[in-house]
Amino acid sequence: MAEAISYTEKLKKWNRFEAEKFSKKAPVTTPYPFIEVEKPPEYRGIPHINPEKCIGCGACVNACPPDALIMEWDKEHGVKRLTYNAARCIRCARCIEVCPTGAMEPTTRFEVATDNKEDLVEVVEHRLAYCEECGEYLDFTERQIEYVRNILPKEIFDAYALEDRIKLTQEEKMRRTVAKLRETEGNVYPAFVLAGKPEKASGKGGEK
Amino acid sequence: MPRLKSVWVYHVDAGSCNGCDIEVLDVLSPYYDIERLGVKVVPNPRHADALFITGPLTRQTRIMIRKAYEAMPPKPRIVVAIGTCASSGGIFYNSYALYNTSPQRGRDRLRSGGPEMVVPIDLYIPGCPPSPEEILYGVAQLLGIKEKKMKGEYWVALPPEEKPSKENEVEFKIPDRPIPLRYWLTLREELRRVVGYYDRDAVLNDFIELVGKAFESENPRENLRDLVTGYFLREKDSRIKVAMRFLENEFWRLYEEYNTLSRSLREKYPLTAGV
Repeated sequence: MAEAISYTEKLKKWNRFEAEKFSKKAPVTTPYPFIEVEKPPEYRGIPHINPEKCIGCGACVNACPPDALIMEWDKEHGVKRLTYNAARCIRCARCIEVCPTGAMEPTTRFEVATDNKEDLVEVVEHRLAYCEECGEYLDFTERQIEYVRNILPKEIFDAYALEDRIKLTQEEKMRRTVAKLRETEGNVYPAFVLAGKPEKASGKGGEK
Repeated sequence: MPRLKSVWVYHVDAGSCNGCDIEVLDVLSPYYDIERLGVKVVPNPRHADALFITGPLTRQTRIMIRKAYEAMPPKPRIVVAIGTCASSGGIFYNSYALYNTSPQRGRDRLRSGGPEMVVPIDLYIPGCPPSPEEILYGVAQLLGIKEKKMKGEYWVALPPEEKPSKENEVEFKIPDRPIPLRYWLTLREELRRVVGYYDRDAVLNDFIELVGKAFESENPRENLRDLVTGYFLREKDSRIKVAMRFLENEFWRLYEEYNTLSRSLREKYPLTAGV
């Protein structure tokens, strides 16, 4: 209960530092660059990615209006990098709102001026899951798969036999489905429809 | 960067929305009073030591910015980019109206764009718009009063069940909560309809604490009702009250939905079959 201090209560706690020294009405100039000050708690500073919680799903990348967050793909080495640049960020907090793990954290940091743009870059590198059947990397990170394991109830895992298929690529899954359908007797679809295009000579009404 | 004593600045607009220009005006007001640091806004670039640029550099302003830069005396000739647009092109970075010659169209890691396409920039002050304190901090850095605080970060997010061996490697952690993760996620998503991002996590944390307490007893439904009512009476903010009541209803709806789901799944797929 102690944590949920409401918005108005939080605002009441914060005050400009002159209010302690002088009254609230005192028309003084802020001594800011010579002292340290804090911004009010609801001030939207630059957001921060918490690499402990981030799963690399890319929800923030979809939500970001000015593309301050971009996903860099490197499928050869099996990594994808979530790059954040404060120089492009407009502090709209859309990424904080859509993050499914709470990894995007709002801060009140405002002292971001710099002479080198490299200082504004934040990168989180994620490792992609590996499909051992076809020797390729999946589109998902290992953390995403672990998160899905935690979300879905066990009944669904059992019903759809997800545990066997969760680390396969889309093509491998399709290949297995085709093989399964071919085995099944009394199948409504002829085998050549599933395997590929029929020969030109036989055409549409060749076999049924 | 050379250390300066009093900087005379010329403020130039490269097609900004005027948000940053108003913040520059605020910096000149008595409360922030940038003139006590020796900064003076002059009406001519020939008198200026520094150039304050706001805006994402439209095609129309490109030549004007270049001319203003060339009209400044050759030393120290400092350029300060104020605002997100001036630092990288901002939200307009891929607009047809902007002058952007970067090879990746502003999608590289440094997010190049804005006035840095025509003039070299010495200080970036991002923010949309930057608050007066942010501009003061940037100018103070220029004068040697404050130190740079930002630093680039590179984290390697390790897959689950791997221990970090290097400094920048980070382990995966899902925080422990008294309710299953799928309840937490759905409640969090539903809560977006009632409260904003700022209060949301604090309210939800309080609620799942109450749920954890309620499920210790034999009759969780009535117990949770009592606990939420107690919270309701203590809290003064009416929006938080509404959110708590909303969460309680939503939680029981989900509880029934998920329970019936697992039952119906078992009826539909009596044998576990897979591909």
